[in-house]
Amino acid sequence: MDELILGIETSCDETAAAVVRNGTEVLSNVVSSQIDIHARYGGVVPEVASRAHVEMMTPVIAQAMVEAGVSKDDLTAIACTVGPGLIGSLLIGVSSAKALSLVWDKPFVAVNHLEAHLYSSFIEEPDLELPVVVLLVSGGHTMLILMEGHGKYRLLGQTLDDAAGEAYDKVARYLGLGYPGGPIIDKMAMDGDPQAVKFPRALANDGYDFSFSGLKTSVVNYVRKNPDVADVDIAASFQEAVVDVLTTKARRAVEEFDAKGLCIAGGVAANSSLRERVLDIAVEDGINGFIPSRSMCTDNAAMIASAGWWRYHSDGPASLDQGATSSLPFPAYA
Amino acid sequence: MLILGIESATSQVGVAIGGHEGVLASAHSARDRRHAESLTPQIKFVCEQARVELSEVGCVAVDVGPGLFTGLRVGLASAMAVAHGLGVPMIGVSSLDLGAFAVEHSNRLIVPCYDARRGEVFSAKYRSVPGGVQRVSEPAVSTPDELAADLLAGSDDALMVGDGGERYRDVFSGISHLEFAGTGLQFPSARSLVELAHPKALREEFVQPNEIEPMYLRLPDAEINWKTRASG
Repeated sequence: MDELILGIETSCDETAAAVVRNGTEVLSNVVSSQIDIHARYGGVVPEVASRAHVEMMTPVIAQAMVEAGVSKDDLTAIACTVGPGLIGSLLIGVSSAKALSLVWDKPFVAVNHLEAHLYSSFIEEPDLELPVVVLLVSGGHTMLILMEGHGKYRLLGQTLDDAAGEAYDKVARYLGLGYPGGPIIDKMAMDGDPQAVKFPRALANDGYDFSFSGLKTSVVNYVRKNPDVADVDIAASFQEAVVDVLTTKARRAVEEFDAKGLCIAGGVAANSSLRERVLDIAVEDGINGFIPSRSMCTDNAAMIASAGWWRYHSDGPASLDQGATSSLPFPAYA
Repeated sequence: MLILGIESATSQVGVAIGGHEGVLASAHSARDRRHAESLTPQIKFVCEQARVELSEVGCVAVDVGPGLFTGLRVGLASAMAVAHGLGVPMIGVSSLDLGAFAVEHSNRLIVPCYDARRGEVFSAKYRSVPGGVQRVSEPAVSTPDELAADLLAGSDDALMVGDGGERYRDVFSGISHLEFAGTGLQFPSARSLVELAHPKALREEFVQPNEIEPMYLRLPDAEINWKTRASG
């Protein structure tokens, strides 16, 4: 029998709700982004985000149900992100989801936002062959994960300082390019020379952890000493360094753990240079390269509903006294 | 009509259910600010205690603040979701109204005063009128000293209700014509919310969930900085 999950996501600055059938078929995927609200502050302001979530949550849920053409009676469960993320933002989704779960008498399922990012791949490629190496890159996280099965993950490495997306934002801010930095630098890089400046590739050949704070500093120092170098060349060279480090490690992990493929996930997975490089690697190494569509990379609720479906079947419903945890760890066993 | 009242504007979180028979059941907790964890189970509990089904609820009343932002929003989000899920309208009531309503029979000037953190309090002034209370000043956020100076300037006997008066007792205790309602009434209650919402429900003073407007009284810091920069 078909199982429909209503997914709810409010961990950062997107208010999102989606209905997904049997873990993979997206019936609706509504995202109300606050990017325009936060752009003038140069980053997400937690209090501003929380206020917007309260305003948007119920309309977004209503729209997701209408677009999916379903009523509450069709739902199997309600899944919601319980962390990690901004605590004030998370609580809006969790409170709404639990209240609906009680009122509609549907099980409530707690979802880890990071785990959900991995499921964005399964939505578009349900038969993805395991194990896969997943490069999870966003504004808050940079992780290299070996996914051996559903709910079975090894955390191979993660950033020791800034997340990749954070480095993009900081460099964009320093160059006075605006916010969010990822899409802006990505676009500029297309007109620049990625070999113009050889920025450092920290830890590139050393383990699976990442470090991006040194790269950011060296961009700043370079621009200070060479004010005449074109911004497009700086952007392209910076991006080249980030993508180089990310893919070098991911590629090595695929080989070491004999993975069937390489997936990317998270907001930075929308970056065009990273996407191209992963596809090139897949062809060169004869593995499956999986690149979710851009709307599945950035925060959305379809991935929450998908991960929620798997979690519902493996763990069952969560208790109604579930809270939110801003620093919820990735559910790896090693 | 059965009214479900949700109140989470202060350190306390509470739920009550009732109607023309008065409050049928209520639950309040004020430990460790576990608003998000406690609220949904409280809703379930009061319905069970009142022996009513959630589907019998005809309206959801919610405290719209002012109050502590994160907890306040847990109540707002929950209440809006319940109302949306049941397809019933809502009634928004200010935490200050609830504080004043709890001492509605006092003939003193009633001053609900709640801790706003960062060295400030939320307050407003009320008078007892037949059938309830009437607000006679705008809800405000100020330092306790500013509120004390304001009360000192007036000669009316006043009664202060709320945890703001408890926390800043040293600031207010010098005002000879001011009394304190005490710790038993330091938080607005969900019971008061249901009682106060009932006549409004009879008058059909409803709003839809997306029309509920939180009363923050304070801009986010980032917005204050932005406006300062824009005007400077």
